[in-house]
Amino acid sequence: MELISLKEMSMPSKILLLKELGYGTDGEYVLDLEGNKVIDNYIEIPVRIDNMVILPGSTIILDDNEISIMKYMEDSGDDF
Amino acid sequence: MTSNPITDFGEGIGKGLAKGLLEYSESKIKSLVNLFRENKLKFIGDRKTIEVAKETKKSGEWAFYKTYVSDSELLFNIRLGLLLRKVESDTDRLDNLKSKIRKKYGIKGLHIAYFVQNGVLNRYVAILLDNLDSTEKLKRKISDVLTNIEKHTIFVDSRYSERQLIKDSMTIAAHNPEIFIVSGIYSAAKIVRESKASIKELLKKYKLEEMITGMKEILFFKLII
Repeated sequence: MELISLKEMSMPSKILLLKELGYGTDGEYVLDLEGNKVIDNYIEIPVRIDNMVILPGSTIILDDNEISIMKYMEDSGDDF
Repeated sequence: MTSNPITDFGEGIGKGLAKGLLEYSESKIKSLVNLFRENKLKFIGDRKTIEVAKETKKSGEWAFYKTYVSDSELLFNIRLGLLLRKVESDTDRLDNLKSKIRKKYGIKGLHIAYFVQNGVLNRYVAILLDNLDSTEKLKRKISDVLTNIEKHTIFVDSRYSERQLIKDSMTIAAHNPEIFIVSGIYSAAKIVRESKASIKELLKKYKLEEMITGMKEILFFKLII
């Protein structure tokens, strides 16, 4: 499995990526198709475009922090 | 709550290059998304986040508690404590995670994480092992101290007075717990240190064991049987 770090990706590229996946941004937060802020389901905070991770499994967008990653690993059985 | 999406995707092109960030063409993005949809690629954030998350499962402590704690939520709380310990030299990262733990798991979840982070659970188990005769009893005791952490532990903060600490210690001791703990970290360590003699004098049915490391002053009162 290839890993691409979004920390190393330019903002325009991230915006293009979100668009291709069916999401958007207000410049600060990731937005869904209806313009609602995407919420990290594990820690229940809106996901910022400068601190997001995008993981497989119906496109899971999370805040980049160890708690969410640990929970994702538990739920998905994925250990990266 | 809704926000206005950005539609000008040309804005900022080249800006990333100046910062050493990678620019991807639209066709490259499409091919990355295809790989993502085929489950061949993940878009991660900071690589360190994943390393640290994985490291929390690579310790003897984790192997031990995984064996003796069956409740998945408690086990995750233990992992959060191991996580806090991993990042404690990075104050910003530590504070950020503490704030997220508190928001998601409440003050109790944060206290359990502190309990593990500061080695209190390990010491608690070591004291228990002196008098235990079965694995099942050990499992029950660990589960009980974590589930009812506020009945076993006083987490002293900088707002505590000596008087309040003595009062709370007496309240907990009135229920005769086998072991109870007074924990003070950073500025609260001084309050614990200064109250120690008075608490010890009042709790004659308890034997005191101390855990003092740098900025931590943690007292274990063990019921004399």
